[in-house]
Amino acid sequence: MATADRRSGSDVRAQLDQLLEDDPADLYENAPCGYLSTLPDGTIVKVNRTFCAWTGRTAEQLLRTRLRDVLSVGGQVFHDTHLAPLLRMQGAVREVALDVVRVDGSLLPCLVNAVELRDADGAPVMVRATLFEATARRRYEREILSARRAAEESEARSRTVQQVVSELAEATTVDDVAAVVVRRGRRAVRAAGAALWRVRGHMLADHRAQPEPEPAPMLVLAHAEGFSAELLHELADDRRGQWALELAEGVRVVRLDDGLRARRPGLAAQLEVAGLHGVAVVPVSADSRRLGALVLGLDGQDDGSDLITLEEPGADLPAADLALLATLGRQAGQALERAQLHEQTTRQAQRSAFLLDAARLMAGATGSRETVERFVDMAVPRLADMCLVDLITEHGARRVAARHGDPDRQHLVEDLLEWAPPVRDLPYPARRALAEGRTLWFRTVDDEWLRSVVRDDRELTAVRRLELAGIVSVPLMAEGRALGVVTLNADRRRGPFTAADVEVIEQLAAQVSLVMAKAQRYELEVRTSHTLQATLLPPPPPDVPGISVAVRYLAATRGVEIGGDFYDVAPLAGGQVAIAVGDVVGHDITAAATMGQLRSVYRALLVESPAPSAVIDRLQASWPLLGLQRMATALFATIDLPSGRLRIASAGHPPPLLLAGGRAEYLPVRPSRMLGAPPSGAREWTGVLAPGATLVLFTDGLVESRSSDVDVGLARLRASALRSATADPDQLCDRLLADLAGTHRADDIALLALTRAG
Amino acid sequence: MDVRTRNDVRESGVPGGRPIVFAHGYGCDQNMWRFVTPDFEVDHRVVTFDHVGFGNSDLSAYDPVKYDSLRGYAGDVVEILRALDLRDVVFVGHSVSAMIGVLAYRRAPELFGALVMVGPSARYVDEGDYTGGFTRAQVRDLLDSLDANHLGWSTAIAPVIMGNPDRPELAEELTNSFCRTDPDVARQFARVSFLSDNRADLAAVTVPTLVLQCSQDVIAPESAGRFVHDHVPGSVFVQLAATGHCPNLSAPEETTAAIRAFL
Repeated sequence: MATADRRSGSDVRAQLDQLLEDDPADLYENAPCGYLSTLPDGTIVKVNRTFCAWTGRTAEQLLRTRLRDVLSVGGQVFHDTHLAPLLRMQGAVREVALDVVRVDGSLLPCLVNAVELRDADGAPVMVRATLFEATARRRYEREILSARRAAEESEARSRTVQQVVSELAEATTVDDVAAVVVRRGRRAVRAAGAALWRVRGHMLADHRAQPEPEPAPMLVLAHAEGFSAELLHELADDRRGQWALELAEGVRVVRLDDGLRARRPGLAAQLEVAGLHGVAVVPVSADSRRLGALVLGLDGQDDGSDLITLEEPGADLPAADLALLATLGRQAGQALERAQLHEQTTRQAQRSAFLLDAARLMAGATGSRETVERFVDMAVPRLADMCLVDLITEHGARRVAARHGDPDRQHLVEDLLEWAPPVRDLPYPARRALAEGRTLWFRTVDDEWLRSVVRDDRELTAVRRLELAGIVSVPLMAEGRALGVVTLNADRRRGPFTAADVEVIEQLAAQVSLVMAKAQRYELEVRTSHTLQATLLPPPPPDVPGISVAVRYLAATRGVEIGGDFYDVAPLAGGQVAIAVGDVVGHDITAAATMGQLRSVYRALLVESPAPSAVIDRLQASWPLLGLQRMATALFATIDLPSGRLRIASAGHPPPLLLAGGRAEYLPVRPSRMLGAPPSGAREWTGVLAPGATLVLFTDGLVESRSSDVDVGLARLRASALRSATADPDQLCDRLLADLAGTHRADDIALLALTRAG
Repeated sequence: MDVRTRNDVRESGVPGGRPIVFAHGYGCDQNMWRFVTPDFEVDHRVVTFDHVGFGNSDLSAYDPVKYDSLRGYAGDVVEILRALDLRDVVFVGHSVSAMIGVLAYRRAPELFGALVMVGPSARYVDEGDYTGGFTRAQVRDLLDSLDANHLGWSTAIAPVIMGNPDRPELAEELTNSFCRTDPDVARQFARVSFLSDNRADLAAVTVPTLVLQCSQDVIAPESAGRFVHDHVPGSVFVQLAATGHCPNLSAPEETTAAIRAFL
């Protein structure tokens, strides 16, 4: 070529000149771009061959049609809404992308530049347009566009995750968390509806009171939007949404297909009604703990989203969306667990406060009856609808409380008394709880179960009326002993008990048990001391001819109603009478028991030798053998009725008072050591009780008080005895007590007055 | 935020005259009315504005949630009328703004005296017996083609222009400036417009209403205009000789005359 160029350089220049001076018509017709001229309304009036060739149409076909008539629908709209207005407004457009439809229907992507020619008044005369083929460029642009869309979607997904994270951070309650999860999950994949089912009570999974029957994890609907009640019902199904939990090992899409129609016709029908083509199930979990499932309704219908994403209706979610949902589920799980923990803590605090209140209230109860009443007041209706309390008494079980929270239904629990102790044995839940010594929690109550545990048809009818939804029976245990059993029922309006409910009930029952055990122990002591007192106190003195005797026994006003004081009057053979007054140290059951023993031993000794000093000496000698736990003081005397001869000996006891001839004298009986102290040898005082004279024996409770010493007491006693000036020992006793005993006694008082007939 | 700035509200004409408000439709901005407004400035208080996201409106006010429905735009219209304290308004809505006018009217009927609908369609997509003019596939095609045309939009330059409404020369330097729109806004507006269904709203219109129907309008075919006319009680239907979808640009005299005759 180089040789040729040199050889014919002038030829080449001539050829170039010829080309440059080319026919303008040829240049127009065969230019490397399409040329068009149109009237202002778009009618094509001139078109070059290039454009005709590109479109596969002849010039004749194109003339008198309008430019927009050879454009794609999108191109037509764009032409009318953008290109034409722009030409009118600014006289020119550049680089507008339009698709021209070839005669075979295929599209030719073009870029259009156009100018509007105007007359002197500015009115449009003609439009000239050039069109450049832009297939490669448009492909390139589309690739950029789709990359941009992918980037935008990815950005949108990460934005969704960010929003979820920040919104979840602000959600403190389980409800808040659920609302965020449902709203964001629904938006993330433009779902028609969303619902979150939450596993309830997993935090208490290790609670010791396992309900019966053993429950499947209980799923509760936490939040939903965009689903009809019917669809929610079908999604939940008769197993409370178990299927969703089982499915949610990963994000799963359940499509509305023939398989689903066969397996779950009800659900399929509701999906059909809702116009959904399936649901996506997203596990909501924290670490590996499954806390629930998010269900999203997928539609391929007219929400316009498919128009943007160009996805075909019914298509499964893109992998990126599945990954997004999985992330959302994990975030939701963590937030849910945090919220549950928070609520748990709050509830725990509320429960603690409640139990503290309960403890205070019950501690104030003064007996087991009041304890039971206060427990029932607290349990119903706050914890349960019905409360039944059965206590074990020495006569067997007794139903001591049956309360319904609704006064209008109180008669229903009272009707049950016919099948409760003492009429019948305990009903099944209470009986078994008591027998096994553990809480029994019947989480659900159905009719079949009821029929299996009642004892006759009438009981079944009565129990059915309660409309039970849950039963908890807790034995009342204290010190390893069963005190009774409480049974709390929830009816269908309240719904079944939760594990937390059961925990509170158990703790309350534990408190009741403690308070009740204390109350029962106290009551037992009171009852025992009464019985003991009745047994141990000496019987009224026998009628003995020749003397009249009056006795009084006053227990201390504080503490147990029994003491260690005693008196005794025993007629002996040979016209003798033995009398005694004693005081065992202390005034409790031990004192009373010691006194009882002392009296028995004394009676035995009387048979052998009634001499007072001998009685004391032998008591002293045998004290260690008798194993008596307390020391005692005592005054022993014998009277020879015919002669009135008195023999008196004292073991550390106050001296007796003799009233005779208008005088009152303490007899100078020299006391030996107290009974129980090392023996010291007793000495007797002997004298005569004149006819009409009165001998007064007493314990120190009569003359001792905290405010004054014994001498003052003795002086007051003597003065009182002088003032009363009566020959009737009964009257004398009453007056002495009236003057000296007072209403607040720290000690027991035993008083004996003996008058020799005149 | 001041709605005048937000929507680049411009006023002209006779301050005491009957207010006539022009709303641009899908496509460009308030410049669409430049050949029509002069005639009304003689005896009307003329108001034009840009929908948020278009023309010289405040792009920062664009909220993809609010404007995910025509109601968002209708709310703006009501705010503009209230801000300007307008009553007995003649609302001239082009293209999809005809339906925005209907929704604004439903929200605050006391502000409106008449509606003029230029090339209206209550539903663009065919559905059962209804002919809106587009199949779903065609709408998809349309939305797709939008992406191919960013019409000189440059995110680097747009904020400069949008932030300097007082220096229109900045905008004029760009080609296709009147239809310059953020591609995301344009795409969403197109989607909202072409997927809207306002057929049920028509019966509530009780002010005098004019339906201006263009010839050979691929966007709002005669069937769509007839439907609007049939469902707005007592409305007037005028068939224009003008072709295409923008008689306000292609046949301003005929458009003006028809509106005047109606008023």
